[in-house]
Amino acid sequence: MDQTVEAAAQQTSRRLPTWAMVLAFTLLVAFLGLVYFGLRNSMAGPLSIGQPAPKFTLQTFDGQVVDVRDLEGKIILVNFWASWCKPCEDEAAALEEAWRRYQADGDVVFLGVDYVDTESEARAYLEKFNITYPNGPDLKSSISDLYNISGVPETYIIGPDGTLKYAKKGPFLSINEIIMVVDGLRQGNTGAGS
Amino acid sequence: MLANFGYGAIVLAFFVSLYGVFAAIYGVRKNRAAWVESARTAMLLIFPLLTLSALSIVVLLVTGHYEVQYVYNVTSSAMPVYLKITALWGGQAGSLIFWSWTMSAFATAVTLRNWDRDREFLPWVIVVSLITLAFFLGLSIFVENPFERIWITPEGRQVVSMLPPAGSILATVRDGRGLNPLLRHPGMIIHPPMLYLGFVSFVIPYAFAIAALVTGRSDDRWIRLTRRWSLVAWLFLSLGLLLGSRWAYDVLGWGGYWAWDPVEIAAFMPWLTGTAFMHSVMIQEKRGLFKRWNMVLIILTYSLVMVGTFLTRSGVLSSVHAFAQSAIGPLFFVFIGLTLAGSLGLLLWRWNDLRSEGEMHSLLSREALFLLNNLLFMGILIVCFWGVFFPLISELFTGQKVTVGPPFYERATAPLFGGLLLLMGIAPLSAWGHSTVKTLGKAVWKPALGAVAALVAAYIFGVRLPAALIGFFAVALVIFVTLYEYIRGVSARRRRSGESYPVALMRLAARNRRRYGGYIIHLGVVLMALGIIGIELFQTETQGTLARGQSLELDGYTVRYDSLAIFDVQDGRNVARAEVTVFKDGRNLGTLAPRRDYYYDSGQPMTIPGVRSTMSEDLYVLLVDWQPVSEQGATFKVYHNPLINWLWVGGFVFIFGMLVAAWPDREPAPSVQRAKVRAGTQASRA
Repeated sequence: MDQTVEAAAQQTSRRLPTWAMVLAFTLLVAFLGLVYFGLRNSMAGPLSIGQPAPKFTLQTFDGQVVDVRDLEGKIILVNFWASWCKPCEDEAAALEEAWRRYQADGDVVFLGVDYVDTESEARAYLEKFNITYPNGPDLKSSISDLYNISGVPETYIIGPDGTLKYAKKGPFLSINEIIMVVDGLRQGNTGAGS
Repeated sequence: MLANFGYGAIVLAFFVSLYGVFAAIYGVRKNRAAWVESARTAMLLIFPLLTLSALSIVVLLVTGHYEVQYVYNVTSSAMPVYLKITALWGGQAGSLIFWSWTMSAFATAVTLRNWDRDREFLPWVIVVSLITLAFFLGLSIFVENPFERIWITPEGRQVVSMLPPAGSILATVRDGRGLNPLLRHPGMIIHPPMLYLGFVSFVIPYAFAIAALVTGRSDDRWIRLTRRWSLVAWLFLSLGLLLGSRWAYDVLGWGGYWAWDPVEIAAFMPWLTGTAFMHSVMIQEKRGLFKRWNMVLIILTYSLVMVGTFLTRSGVLSSVHAFAQSAIGPLFFVFIGLTLAGSLGLLLWRWNDLRSEGEMHSLLSREALFLLNNLLFMGILIVCFWGVFFPLISELFTGQKVTVGPPFYERATAPLFGGLLLLMGIAPLSAWGHSTVKTLGKAVWKPALGAVAALVAAYIFGVRLPAALIGFFAVALVIFVTLYEYIRGVSARRRRSGESYPVALMRLAARNRRRYGGYIIHLGVVLMALGIIGIELFQTETQGTLARGQSLELDGYTVRYDSLAIFDVQDGRNVARAEVTVFKDGRNLGTLAPRRDYYYDSGQPMTIPGVRSTMSEDLYVLLVDWQPVSEQGATFKVYHNPLINWLWVGGFVFIFGMLVAAWPDREPAPSVQRAKVRAGTQASRA
């Protein structure tokens, strides 16, 4: 009798308890949910205006490390470019001119992110257009991944509160276009994305 | 014409797969063998169909049909023929066909085996294999069609589609964009197919496991039937990973072999569960334990293969390896969800039937140590899994994508790898069923003494890093234990039969290939570990911009910059090639030529190091930058990588061991085989 009870008890103890089954399926659903979230993000287009801008660090060609977290409270213009990109050349001078205009005030920062490039050609490009704001390579394309860029040039402007205020695909056509957006942000207006 | 033919072959193969699934299930349900046989024939038909389809792509690639979008994307007229052929797996659409083609080859090989004894598995193996195949073929037909062509509509618009839009004509495209230069390395030509072979061949043991679950057979028959399949899958996956490392070392120009990149890890995760599986099935065969665990492991391995393929190809993870973003993500997601839920459901349904036939009696028995080995592999898997998915988890909860880098993986996995090395030294000496400290100590003390001697020698030669000393000790222990096992076996044979040493050694390995092949694999792993310890703990580097005639110094080496030449090569490259002379302690060791290739067609550069290799170390010189006009100054990065070549030597030993273990036995007559299996089981339990 005792033996039977013991055998039965053993039999039940070997059965997988309901909570374990529920847990197994919950974990599966959680995993699939996570993957779905990743998939949805990867299929989404570029970042949308108003959401927190992705944080990154940029190692510049002259060896400095710029962390955008340290720049909170400032307006940050992030420009993706490459030396092989012809349209980038169209806006290079305008960007540099705009930078010189704001540089002294200290509340606006320009960062150039060099996308898939050779260092020597990138340096030659910077020299050619006499670009003085911090520029660095996008190592492993990590920054362009964060911003989900679709090509170069692309420009993003981050507001003092760390959210994305402006996004532009393609080159700026004139310095005025840049100044309008940046000055708008300095006066507290949120610029419009294009 | 050829494009239509190739596409037709895939579509036909897709419908034949669906028919095979239907016929197999119908045959089982109605108990009609003819339907199952028909499903089997369907499975046999797919390989020739896909061969025709793959050949069509190859012909289109080689003959330069650039109006076919895939051909345009991955080849150009400047490429040599062998690269045009290998461009079959150089892009998403082609590699999916390649995946299906290799999968169908494996499925055919399985179908052709003798099924007399295991009839009940057949329909379910067909169902699982064909569902997997149909899914991949579906991707090729509906989403990533390699046969789509570029058409010009009457309005002058370019349209990419399989069928011509009304009134449009085929575009005339003179040349293609060319294969990504990173993929033009010999290592890269065979690295992806090896990985794919590893991936697809794991489908077969999984199919058998699912067949065992559906039919309710709780014995170890499915494991015995798939033992060699698993080994072959594991062999290819290991080869794929090794070749990938070698490619990274030769081409990516960062002086390393493994970057803990998400896609590398995606291929490494099924290898981890596969390796755990290779060990834990032995416990089920010998002791009847771990039936559920083995099911979990093979399901995990298959799922990780699918998840890894999905992550690589859908753009969910950002990585140097990622394919261009593609629309296959949602379909893949649904497929993974269904297979995971289905496998889990089946496993839970049969959970009670998969009870162990015995118990573990001793904490030091072979099975207990194998369990520990499995736990360590699972530990590494969890670290990898967490690292790969952490960016998603962090983004989900904080809105910020935070990635983890190599330091995270290195710190978290190093102790686990160390534990595995030590176990590799001890476990082969413990006995099945029961071992005590005394019996194990008695077996292990001689090799351990040798390992301590190696440790002392390392210390005397100036090694002071504790991690390195522990590593060298573990490596020496495994080497001595393995040699000791061989010596013991050979001596015993010689005593019994009076054979000469070489004959006894050959026969010993031939009699128990899995065991002695396994030992060779262990030897390979520790030699690889030696290389990894060398580069991880002792790598040094320096960088400097030099004028001609100036030098850089590193660990007794002097690297002198002699000259730089920039020239165009016929295959569409611009090459900047520097020459440096290497000296050690004043002695001229010869010249190296690090270079930077720039591919005009794709606009991508590639850094090829100049390497001086010896068994004790590599001197690895990279040309980082130069002055384009004067060619006077150039920047070099120099790495000193001690012991790195043992990684590759170990790789060869590892592969050799796997070949020994996986080499097919002559198939005995069924009745004899049955008797042998039983006798073997009894002997192992005795």
